[in-house]
Amino acid sequence: MAEARATETGAATPLEIRDVHTRFGAAVVHHGVSLEVRRGEVFALAGASGCGKSTLLREVIMLHRPERGSIRVLGQEVTRLGGEAALSLLRRVGVMFERGALFGALTVAENVGVPLREHTHLAPRLVREIAALKVALAGLPGEAGAKYPAELSGGMRKRAALARALALDPELLFLDEPTAGLDPLSASGFDELVSHLRELLGLTVVVVSHDLDLLWRVADRVAFMVEGRVVGVGTMTELSRSENPLVREYFYGPRGRAAWEQAWKRK
Amino acid sequence: MDAAIPGAEIRVEGGVASCLGAWTVDGLSGLDRRLERFPWPDVPELVLDGTAVGAMDTAGAWVLDGVARSLARSGRRLSLRLRPQDEALLDMVRKSAASGLPPGPPRSGLLSRLGSATVATGGRALGVLAFMGETAMAAAGGLARPRRIRWRQVLHDLQEAGFSALPIIGLLSFLMGLVIAYQGSLQLRRYGASIFVADLVGFAMLRELSPLLTAIIVAGRSGSAYAAQIGTMKVTEEVDALRTVGIPPLELLVLPKVAALVVALPLLTVYADVLGVAGGMVVASSELGVGAQDFLDRFVRAMRISDYLVGVGKAPVFAAIVAVTGCYQGFQVGGDAESVGRRTTVSVVQSVFAVIVVDAVFSVIFSRLGL
Repeated sequence: MAEARATETGAATPLEIRDVHTRFGAAVVHHGVSLEVRRGEVFALAGASGCGKSTLLREVIMLHRPERGSIRVLGQEVTRLGGEAALSLLRRVGVMFERGALFGALTVAENVGVPLREHTHLAPRLVREIAALKVALAGLPGEAGAKYPAELSGGMRKRAALARALALDPELLFLDEPTAGLDPLSASGFDELVSHLRELLGLTVVVVSHDLDLLWRVADRVAFMVEGRVVGVGTMTELSRSENPLVREYFYGPRGRAAWEQAWKRK
Repeated sequence: MDAAIPGAEIRVEGGVASCLGAWTVDGLSGLDRRLERFPWPDVPELVLDGTAVGAMDTAGAWVLDGVARSLARSGRRLSLRLRPQDEALLDMVRKSAASGLPPGPPRSGLLSRLGSATVATGGRALGVLAFMGETAMAAAGGLARPRRIRWRQVLHDLQEAGFSALPIIGLLSFLMGLVIAYQGSLQLRRYGASIFVADLVGFAMLRELSPLLTAIIVAGRSGSAYAAQIGTMKVTEEVDALRTVGIPPLELLVLPKVAALVVALPLLTVYADVLGVAGGMVVASSELGVGAQDFLDRFVRAMRISDYLVGVGKAPVFAAIVAVTGCYQGFQVGGDAESVGRRTTVSVVQSVFAVIVVDAVFSVIFSRLGL
């Protein structure tokens, strides 16, 4: 599946970030960030709160323009993209926001149907069926589709948001803090779901997270950001052997150590 | 992404149905509508060949699986061929289908909708009544122990709802007096009864318009703010936090607001009376040649003290309606931020509605009493 997608679009690097600089007023958020995400991998952006990872995600999905630098999503430069071209690029990308961002006036199934109704000409019956399929795929029970977001628990809301992000079978999926605010059991369930979907649908997944368990369990590669710079990129094992004191501090704090031990036990 | 690949298509040749094109959310729209009446060949054995599709996603897999199932149901012996990379997709789709798709939302009949609307309306009326009762009980408790009244909060609300509203209420009631006098002057001049402009403006403003106008502005300015404030506090669980630290939310959030409005609204009404009459005087002198001295002479002779008290006396009732409705709607906010907006709107609509209805009731009562 993954190879098939590659030939369909011809881009081997779904996301390429080159020397991005961003500032809000006097506060500099990014001092030249460069990253490359390979097709079919789960790539994680990690770092402490306020290091600029969420802003970077917003720039990639065209909610914010960087001051300078280049961002190529699925082979297209997005920093200068607008109008129709931006819309057609965005349909190939799925985004799950940190707090779900489900439309409160619609049921879960209707939420998932929104991108389908907006962007395709499928019959309403088929839209309903595909929405129900995506709800099931995200690991929600069938009856959850008829509920409103306000009636769901935090974990179910995240899964519903994931179902909506998957509505159009995106090639590139962005997850912003997918496990924040979840209990450990739901969080590890979500980890498994992400790995499972990646294999099944041949997705490339970019996760913004500071959940060390998630990083150990699902991320193929991790970019570690500190104060607007990427200080290390590699697998978790490579990063955990890094000499950089900032990285070591993050991974070998009390919680980092616990997650690290867990990961080794599993292996 | 599939601009280069034509839409999904099924080509039948003998006992082989070949799937071609893009079996994706984009490519399916044409085929999907034709599938219901697709001319399947009448053969006992059919090969559904998916090896030549240009692209397939979950939607395509779903439709293909549906086709396969309906063909199997029709009694044909079916063999399905797929590209290796689509096998997993089909598998996944079959599993989800096995878990059962949810039924559509239940359709309710006219009678049941009427019934549930009636029950809901009745429940709302009961809710308002219960809330009024609770507020009254809390107020009685506060009067019994005046030290528990939060004076600082009362003064703050008094400033917000009363003093800060002076400019807008002043301007609007001045304009209201102006308009009434102007409209009246056209008629009065025709009958040479210019001096009665004082009666016209006086009765209209003092008895009806000042209290009504003031209550409506305060409902829009303060009642909505109360609903939004309490509603937001409910969403952020501040109301629950208050309960857990032992502060009854009614005592901190509702009583001071009710008390402040009950004091502020009569005062604002008097202020509106003054500026409304002043507006009338301006037009009287400019349009009718009735000077300020003549106007006031006539005004004092025509007005009774009861006319003034009837207007001001309604104000505390309106104040209680506005404050209680605003707070009640604030407490009705549930879960999400969206309901804050909805409840705020409802609070304004309901309090303006209630104020006008109660005003009408007052009019009937006062005319029966000959006031």
